[in-house]
Amino acid sequence: MSTFLQTLFVGLRLGSIYALVALGYTMVYGIIRLINFAHGDFIMVGGYTMIFTIPVMVSLGLPVWVSVFLAILVCALVGMSTELIAYRPVRKKGTSMTALITAIAVSLLLENLAQAIPQIGPNPKVASQIFTAGGIRIADVTLDWTTMLTIFISIVVMVALYQFTQKTKIGRAMRCVSEDKPASILMGINVNRTIVTTFAIGSGLAAIAALMYIAQYPKVYTTMGSMLGLKAFVSAVLGGIGIIPGAMLGGFVIGLVESFTTSYVSSSMADAFVFLILIVVLIIKPAGILGKNMGEKV
Amino acid sequence: MRKLLSLLLVLALAFSVIACAAPAPAATEATEAPAAEATEAPAAEEAAAPAGDGITLGVISPNTGALAVYGAAVTTAVDLAVSEINAAGGILGQQVSVINTDDQFDPAETLNAFNSLVSQGVGLILGSVTSGCTSAITGAANEEGVVLLTPSATADSITTEDDYVFRACYADGFQGAIAAYYAKSAGYTDVGVVYCAADTYSKGLYDSFAAAAATYGLNIKAVESTASLDVQDYTNQFASMVSSGVQFVYAPYYYDVIGPYIVTQARAAGYTGIIMGADGYDGTPDYVVEGADLTAFNNVYWTNHYDPSDTDPAVQKFVAAYKAMFNSTPNAISALAYDAVYMYKAAIEKAGSADPAAVRDALADTSAVYSGVTGTFSLDATGTPTKGAAILSFASDGTTVTTKLVDVIKELK
Repeated sequence: MSTFLQTLFVGLRLGSIYALVALGYTMVYGIIRLINFAHGDFIMVGGYTMIFTIPVMVSLGLPVWVSVFLAILVCALVGMSTELIAYRPVRKKGTSMTALITAIAVSLLLENLAQAIPQIGPNPKVASQIFTAGGIRIADVTLDWTTMLTIFISIVVMVALYQFTQKTKIGRAMRCVSEDKPASILMGINVNRTIVTTFAIGSGLAAIAALMYIAQYPKVYTTMGSMLGLKAFVSAVLGGIGIIPGAMLGGFVIGLVESFTTSYVSSSMADAFVFLILIVVLIIKPAGILGKNMGEKV
Repeated sequence: MRKLLSLLLVLALAFSVIACAAPAPAATEATEAPAAEATEAPAAEEAAAPAGDGITLGVISPNTGALAVYGAAVTTAVDLAVSEINAAGGILGQQVSVINTDDQFDPAETLNAFNSLVSQGVGLILGSVTSGCTSAITGAANEEGVVLLTPSATADSITTEDDYVFRACYADGFQGAIAAYYAKSAGYTDVGVVYCAADTYSKGLYDSFAAAAATYGLNIKAVESTASLDVQDYTNQFASMVSSGVQFVYAPYYYDVIGPYIVTQARAAGYTGIIMGADGYDGTPDYVVEGADLTAFNNVYWTNHYDPSDTDPAVQKFVAAYKAMFNSTPNAISALAYDAVYMYKAAIEKAGSADPAAVRDALADTSAVYSGVTGTFSLDATGTPTKGAAILSFASDGTTVTTKLVDVIKELK
């Protein structure tokens, strides 16, 4: 029983992180139909921003997590400049495939650029403790406060994003752009500005994900976003990419599969199972668990 | 405007490709420091010096990447040893110069670094630090006829295949056995193992620990593994240790996993017994989470090549010289790299030249005795030293983690 609970809690812990990261992928995809592979690296940017600003917060006597606001700002700026410098010119000239390749290039560029900055360098850095350790103990197994907070934040973000896209003017503009770009121009929507806003929000989400990630796994390094981003992307696809609740569902499924494989099947097979599940789900339901098949190419 | 932007983009792409593909040449830098000492060498030595253009030693180490701490440890110690040697008149009257290359803790980059050294005509190479990287170049060293002396690659297979490969440290076969020996002498009979199935070092230590455990009558009750060194959650593995009831877990990982992840997660999973590791734990106190409850690090033991608090005069002389030059305490990798340079010195003097084939023959002589910081030893037929090990433990008052010497084991009984 305690093994089961422990495995479940580890699964929730991993899943809550994947869910939060997957929300960023799905948000950008839902609006401009671009898989932003650099999203994982925005998390790295957020992580380093916090590594550098946490000492400042401590010296100002503020709680450590306040530095997430600076991280959101930095990530949003990086996200917007990525859109302006890389994606927009490519989108004008090429196809969605060109944009996809550009996203991979941006991802590699960010990783190597970070490594080239002397203050960051290639050495991993370890963050300070962000939230109080401990949590609820059930049958001698602890469910961390941080895990619960991550799940809570994921749900809040999910609901807020959904409401934002449904109710606000910018949100409606985003959905219009997603549905029919030429028509939304005719309706007087500033398409470019809408897309930049999308990137700002999506990248800001990466900073929140970075906070929750380093609160649980405090090692920050330049390639931290690649595997994390890949698994979150898998989560988003699994849940149905572009569908906001799907990203959360997918995140938890992936986290739980990974954890239960480690405990009950083989600890070195966890990743293999994660990707196996992806293949199986895509064969049975190509649009993802919550997705409706609209015959669209990813 | 649009053209300018696409030009920028192309440049950015090209940059990232270059950054991915070929950092080795960029990272290569010749250390010309010894040149300064050359002029200070005694006149008599200069007159006696043969008309050679000096001896060049190539160094391959992870100066950047996840294990950059080790890279710095090697380059500084080599710097110290070479400047001592040059100040004392060099080897066979020739000044020694060093070419540092960076392997980034990546086997492919290690081969690039190796090729770049060979193309510069270097015949004596010191490196690399890790078993994974070193195993990528042992075959090439043999083919090129270049002597490879690794300070710290402990995997058993490193020296067994190739004639031109030697090392200054003991092999994992011995290091894992020490841990098993320690478990037995501390009174544990049931033990567990958590290791990384995809890493040469971790897997090698697990194998040797398991072999020695059988010899010492230890019962390995639980074995868990991870698929890569990028895994960030070890809770399930240690929960399985808890449910099997073991109080001694052998976890051969590196410091960047031990510090932020394993120890705190193992304690959170309810595991209170001993966590034992190997020389990869060196450097852990710099990679712990500030503000967390660090008492988790009590009851963590590891084996190492030497300890700076050892009162042996050779150790104290080295520690003092290193502190004077770099203002920090040398770790075991530094001690091994320092010893490796002096092993080269002894071998070159014995061979009477710096010719790679002659130096190889000198190093292959199993009767030669080397006296260094990490002990007095000679190499066995495969090129691996037979020497003792230090058992260390971490101690924490809750806010900092320090290392203390538990025992020095000279030989296994």
